Amino acid sequence: MTFALVAITALAAIPALAGATRVREVRDEGHMRFLSAEATLIVDEGAMSGTIPGRSRVYFTYNGSPNVSARFVIHAAAGNLDGRATCRLNNPSSPTPSFRGALQIVGGSGRYAHAHGSGELFGVFHRHGYGLVVQAIGKLTY
Amino acid sequence: MCALALPASAWGTQLTSISAGFSPDRLGAHTSLSLGFGVSTPDGSLPAALTSIAFHYPPELGIGTSDLGTATCNPAKLSYYGPSICPPNSIMGSGNALAKFQVSPEVSEETASIALVAGPSQNGYVKLLISATGTYPVQTRIVMSTLLLPGRFQISVPLVPGLPEGPPVAVVRVKATLGGRLTYYERVHGRRTPYHPEGLLLPRRCPRGGFKFNATFSFVDGTQSQAQTKVKCPHG
Repeated sequence: MTFALVAITALAAIPALAGATRVREVRDEGHMRFLSAEATLIVDEGAMSGTIPGRSRVYFTYNGSPNVSARFVIHAAAGNLDGRATCRLNNPSSPTPSFRGALQIVGGSGRYAHAHGSGELFGVFHRHGYGLVVQAIGKLTY
Repeated sequence: MCALALPASAWGTQLTSISAGFSPDRLGAHTSLSLGFGVSTPDGSLPAALTSIAFHYPPELGIGTSDLGTATCNPAKLSYYGPSICPPNSIMGSGNALAKFQVSPEVSEETASIALVAGPSQNGYVKLLISATGTYPVQTRIVMSTLLLPGRFQISVPLVPGLPEGPPVAVVRVKATLGGRLTYYERVHGRRTPYHPEGLLLPRRCPRGGFKFNATFSFVDGTQSQAQTKVKCPHG
């Protein structure tokens, strides 16, 4: 199943001296395709575009409770970013329930080896086909 | 017709059993879940009427992530008109039930068709509406509801009056399937296109000892009964 890409507006990064800690406002969005599932765990993968573009894999857990969780990895050109989120899912009987919650960047590799940050994760879960649309907005320090 | 009221001592311990099964029975595949239960008495007399059922199912079953019930049905309309009034995408399964009631000195029975329908969600949980429709000899419909919580759900069963001065109707057997051969519709390039929802997703790893189900039944005479079953781990 293919999804049309949504236009993204990336916020300007704060210039920083080489080697110094950088702080960036981040806005990334992606349409994830279903990769595999383990009953209550859905694994999706797709391209992320925005401030830190790359390929992302999302591990989305939904056991029927509206409190859902997600882990994700963004494989960007300068390194990987690892994050997690806890969200609240709305309208579970809709074909495309939405979710929203707190996001944390917990580490990474390469340029992002010491990355940390927080923000919000927004998303939509396509129950027919198990696709995900996700949008991450926050502040990243690395 | 004159019905005799049964003395309270006519109700004793209810014996219960439950059944469960997947179709297809293959780990990692989409499947439908069949659940059933039976109620009887040691001496074969009319059991007391059910008042509630508390069901526990394996939380590993992907009921939340299933594509069943992508629309909702209005409970009041379902109660009045039956499941045919509901949007096709709200139908989550079907089944049948057998109920018995006293028509002194005989015990008569009636079958009812069951529809499992998605109702308006509550507190972020999927609400399952269970519609039971009987036509002969008594035309009646009852609609029950339950929230599909992770690993469990509870159903309050309304008492259905039997004949005047007689005991309420007793449900003695139910079998229902969540999923199955359902037809939903979606808009593809502006056209209403049918498709078949895939149903629940079985985990790729079977829990030790199989998929375990258990239920606690409560009856109008104040007694309770428990039953359990398990679906063995499929081969391969």
